Amino acid sequence: MHIPDGYLSPSTCAVMYAASAPCWWAALRRTRRKLFGRTLPLLSLFAAFSFVTMMFNLPLPGGTTGHAVGVGIAAIVLGPWASLLAISLALTIQALFFGDGGITTLGANCFNMAIAGSFAAWAIYHVVSLGAAPDARRRVVAAALAGYGAINLSALLAAIEFGIQPMLFHDAMGAPLYAPYPLRIAIPAMMAGHLTIAGAAEAVMSAGLFSYLRRNEPALVGISPLAVAGAERGARNLWGALAVVLLLTPLGILASGTAWGEWTARDFANSAARARIAAASGNHALPAAPPVGLARWANLWTAPLPDYAPHFVKSAAFGYLLSAMFGVGIILGAAWLGQRLMKLAKPRSEP
Amino acid sequence: MQEEFQGEARQPEALEFEADQVSYEYERVPALRGLSLRIKAGERIALLGANGSGKSTLLRLLDGLHFACAGTLRFRGAALTEAAMEDDAFAFQFRRRVGLVFQNPEIQLFNPTVFDEVAFGPLQLGWPREEILERVHATLEWIGAEHLKDRAPYRLSGGEQKRVAIASVIVLDPDVLLLDEPTSMLDPRSQSQVIELLENWNNGKKTIITATHQLEILGEIAGRAVVLERGAVVADATPAEVLANSEVLESANLIHSHRHQHGGVPHKHPSQYLRHEHPKS
Amino acid sequence: MSAGVMAKTVRGFTQALGQTLLSEHAAREHGLLQALDPRVKLVGLLALVVAAALSRRLNVMVALFGLGVLLAVASRLSLLALAKRVWLVALGFTAMIAAPALFLTPGVALYRLPVGSLAITVQGARSALLLIARVESAVTLSTLLVLTTPWMHLLKALRTLLVPVEVIVLLAMTHRYVVLLTETANQMFESRQSRMVGRLSGQQQRRLMVNTGGVLLSKTLEIGNQVFLAMQARGFRGEVRLLDEFRLRGWDYVAMFGFAMVAVAAVVAGR
Repeated sequence: MHIPDGYLSPSTCAVMYAASAPCWWAALRRTRRKLFGRTLPLLSLFAAFSFVTMMFNLPLPGGTTGHAVGVGIAAIVLGPWASLLAISLALTIQALFFGDGGITTLGANCFNMAIAGSFAAWAIYHVVSLGAAPDARRRVVAAALAGYGAINLSALLAAIEFGIQPMLFHDAMGAPLYAPYPLRIAIPAMMAGHLTIAGAAEAVMSAGLFSYLRRNEPALVGISPLAVAGAERGARNLWGALAVVLLLTPLGILASGTAWGEWTARDFANSAARARIAAASGNHALPAAPPVGLARWANLWTAPLPDYAPHFVKSAAFGYLLSAMFGVGIILGAAWLGQRLMKLAKPRSEP
Repeated sequence: MQEEFQGEARQPEALEFEADQVSYEYERVPALRGLSLRIKAGERIALLGANGSGKSTLLRLLDGLHFACAGTLRFRGAALTEAAMEDDAFAFQFRRRVGLVFQNPEIQLFNPTVFDEVAFGPLQLGWPREEILERVHATLEWIGAEHLKDRAPYRLSGGEQKRVAIASVIVLDPDVLLLDEPTSMLDPRSQSQVIELLENWNNGKKTIITATHQLEILGEIAGRAVVLERGAVVADATPAEVLANSEVLESANLIHSHRHQHGGVPHKHPSQYLRHEHPKS
Repeated sequence: MSAGVMAKTVRGFTQALGQTLLSEHAAREHGLLQALDPRVKLVGLLALVVAAALSRRLNVMVALFGLGVLLAVASRLSLLALAKRVWLVALGFTAMIAAPALFLTPGVALYRLPVGSLAITVQGARSALLLIARVESAVTLSTLLVLTTPWMHLLKALRTLLVPVEVIVLLAMTHRYVVLLTETANQMFESRQSRMVGRLSGQQQRRLMVNTGGVLLSKTLEIGNQVFLAMQARGFRGEVRLLDEFRLRGWDYVAMFGFAMVAVAAVVAGR
């Protein structure tokens, strides 16, 4: 998720710096106004803590390990503005001093992780924990989701920044000058690793630190010390929920027909298909020809396994199951690959 | 270099600090209870007490970092209150005149290089650039740390760190120096180096208040010993007198009696720091 | 996977600390770059990095990389160490990321694989090469900057780039406490490792890590408050100030001219 130098064009880097600068400036002004001077050492200390946290190898369910950024807990404790400063500081030290993440791309990295991440984490936490009692388990889940959401938003933004490079910057022959993968590859590739491993790591760290702070320093998480009582379990329920969802996927076989809205241009020409679409749409009349945009973009991407059935498999149900196994396998494989890449991407490791 | 550290001329016997029934509590835990104390210019005082006796807290009140919850604390006649410290003019004068060396180097040395550490104080007080450079170099030379100036403080040895910590405060040439356990955690040679440094700096004109629990250095560092126990003064006399008063020392948890045997005769010593004779068996 | 994860984390910490030691050592050598004013180095080397980023031509990037190697030699940096810590590592991860691009970039086929329908395209090969060259030259130049300049000088030089004083002081203090917290975390993990018998379950390890994180966080906040007191004790009242001893000398002007020439030439040639 830390974008190194060379992957983004200078204009992209400049735009990201320009996007980050007003946020930094606004954050500095806000923190300066509060408790003059006291925030200075606290910000540095929190930034240092975030930096050290990024080095923890967190063991995750399933046998993998991941790294957290600390943006989840930082946003909850410090609020979004101070948090974006603290994480930006940690990222700057990482880039400048340890060569982890580029210098030209520092603006982009800060925007993705520190700025967007902080606001996302803060918003998610407050929305999910709205009205919950101080010692409610929901708050821990909110913290976990805050971390998870923040990391995935950061990854998505990074993927978009990567993905638009080949479209915008290529040489006369068509060779991409910077990051070589278009959006349709960049996004799934990045999200796979973050939806699973990095997101989980951040969720675990956010939830765990939140629980710890709620028990030991409740004032820091905005809770009066008197209100904390009872035992709390971690976000184990989250994993349980995900596992249940995973097990329920074969139910998709039972569904028939085409999902609403997932039509192809060809369906508009076929009279039987037209009848089905109209029936499913409250008997609205269909346009005679497919919409222009649909016709143009529908064939942009030809999936390797169209309609979940490779052409050599005759049974639709079997094809579906096969696709499910393949899909899960791809995700896990990509997650494993993504994790290896992330490990290799740390220049500190010995080759 | 001695001329550099002359400070303001003060009348001997002028009152530097006057604490009158000062109480202070932190998060509902009382640290000082009704403490009264008068400190005159030029005195060398040792604040003796075990951990939790309130000596660190007292030093911080004397340095205007915390403020009394009850009672009054005056510096040269002016009350040390939060409101007083908010006045820039008063605050700058005070910070120039009184310096505190924290015990923990992690806290005292927060700058990235030795040079920055020593330059921090003058920089905050707004001295002109050339004067700062000159004073910093002179001070570093005086404590023998000029060759360390670009090093990170956390890479130095314990003794070097302590010398830099002291330098970072005496660069301002204060009249009053407050030291929180300056020699604990140092090896014997570094300890005596630090004590010697302070003696050379003092030259008889400065007020030095040292908080410590190390009785063995008492005679070297102070002419007056104030014993604190649970936030109040329980003894205030010369070091010799205080050391002889084993009851007070034991109650304040500064010593404990120990027993041993001489050829079959067990006996008890009040303290190993006192000269005593063993009974002839 | 018992001691494995913790041992790995401890190793990571040790390496990070070792990195700080390496930088301090290199910055004290008597080489070409070490002798220059930090501000000149900062602006000059960054200009070259930007030139590498702007370039569309492979030969310009290779030339910049070559210049980086020459400067490293002139600054008495060990090329072997650079190769191990910087070049090979950057090559490794960039090659991994760029490899699929060889096949996936649309264009003229250069070489068809014997099996399947995959082919390496000319555009794919060019793109991969460009990416690798760009990353290597950028990384070399920025590493040169960091290795040959004492950390605090580098931070103070950022003023030239109009970075606000507060940010510089924040960075300095963050760095200082990174070292402290890293050592503390290291000690906590090591003492845990030495007391561990047998394997911990995944969940136990997670709990351990998070608890260590929690204790570290408490200590962090405690130190933060205390440092504020220490700063106040020496006159800090909220306004941040910095002092540097930088002075430009003859060689600095020569270097400024040199950097400017090379950067402009690289940008022009790379269009």
